[in-house]
Amino acid sequence: MNYLFLFRMIKTSVGRKQLMAVTGLLIASFLFIHLAGNLLLFKGEDWYNGWSELLIANPATIYIEIGLLFLFIIHITMAVWVRTEDLINASYRKYDMSRWHGGRTIGSATMLYTAIIILVYLVFHIIHFRFADKSIGVYQMVVSAFRSPLFVSIYIIGSVALALHLSHGFQSALETLGINHIKYNVYIKIAGYLVAVCMVFFAVISLYFYFGLDLREIADASNIVEMTIE
Amino acid sequence: MEKNKFSITLRVWKQKDASSKGYFESYKVEGIIPDMSFLEMIDVLNEKLIKQGKEPIFFESDCREGICGCCGFVVDGNPHGPDEHSTVCQLHMRRFKEGDVVTIEPFRAKSFPIIKDLIVDRSALDKIIAAGGYISVNVGSAPDANTIPVDKNTAEKAMDYATCIGCGACVASCPNSAAMLFTGAKIAHLAYLPQGKPERTKRVLNMIKVMDSLGFGNCTNEYECEAVCPKEIKVGAIAKMNREFLFANFLSEEEPQLPPVFHKSTVDVPEDE
Repeated sequence: MNYLFLFRMIKTSVGRKQLMAVTGLLIASFLFIHLAGNLLLFKGEDWYNGWSELLIANPATIYIEIGLLFLFIIHITMAVWVRTEDLINASYRKYDMSRWHGGRTIGSATMLYTAIIILVYLVFHIIHFRFADKSIGVYQMVVSAFRSPLFVSIYIIGSVALALHLSHGFQSALETLGINHIKYNVYIKIAGYLVAVCMVFFAVISLYFYFGLDLREIADASNIVEMTIE
Repeated sequence: MEKNKFSITLRVWKQKDASSKGYFESYKVEGIIPDMSFLEMIDVLNEKLIKQGKEPIFFESDCREGICGCCGFVVDGNPHGPDEHSTVCQLHMRRFKEGDVVTIEPFRAKSFPIIKDLIVDRSALDKIIAAGGYISVNVGSAPDANTIPVDKNTAEKAMDYATCIGCGACVASCPNSAAMLFTGAKIAHLAYLPQGKPERTKRVLNMIKVMDSLGFGNCTNEYECEAVCPKEIKVGAIAKMNREFLFANFLSEEEPQLPPVFHKSTVDVPEDE
């Protein structure tokens, strides 16, 4: 057996980027499943708790979680490696007048900073939700957290950082894997921005509960009950 | 004619050699004719400086018609000047007006040590080419044209990438000092043509290996290189290189070896320059 190609993947600049791209895309696809699950919060307590029980009951879940952990480790290791080299290189190019020529976007220029924000947010998110006390039910746990302005602002910052990260990350990953074609480039760009917009929905969900929009229907319903009693 | 003449202030990077510390020096340039090219303007200034017994500004140029890739420095933060998709020798003084302060600096990158003033050592790019930017042909008289059929679209695409003049503006503009657009263009140019097929696998693996060893950075797909390239080479070149690498790395059965001249000791940028 010849494993050299795996080492070459890590040893070359392009290979490291390709590992980063593949793991990044896989993490992004996980985020869509995550988001789809979160949308059940709008459907109410039974639906969301049902989804959560489904995940806990499934024996594959734990292995998927371990897999995700490895994806994150690879993605972050490669990013730190690539970025360290780039920062060393950047220290050699100190222009007196520096300007950008239209290639850079807000997303691409802030990849490192959004990555750090996402990592901090992720650690907080996992400690707070994954390893939390779930005795009151997952739905109540999530909703009560979103009533706090501090939590909601953390979630907004996290998902906006995620959206910015993916606005560049999606098309960058495809480019790194060699997917760039004069016919499809514009669609890839649009798809990247759509993916980014989807990530904002995580913040929309937390805002929905912060402003108590879920209680409105219950309030309406109780009014109807009261009216019928009268 | 006389009334069209104007004057500007040039802030020029002066540096004795790679190891000395550089600084900016200001020169007042008078009597500039709008039809002058930027390099001609420096020529006029240099003649004046030489007559005054001062040291002239050192810069590199050869063909002065935008096809050789010899000239190149950064004008007001723009590699090759403010004009899009042209070399600095094609920049004309009509782009400037009376009283402008123009800053010119060399291309700055880890792999481009400064030789003097605005001249940088771009031999690192030659080393990347030597690692795989060639094809094998029989020696002797030139082979007949069109013995290997190449359709027009493929030929055009290869030609688009072959227009790379190796000026180094992509490296200068890249936030990470990566030479991906250059290496990508050279790989894509030969990968699209049937003549490039025999060395296809070896080429991409060797060129990327040498590129990495010379201290060029990683690509973060910011596309700054594409924006400043005087030959309008698209980042499709980088994608093609990535694709070639992916296939070469995973699908090739042979184990590529660097040619003997490319052992580590000779690849490194020589210290004595």
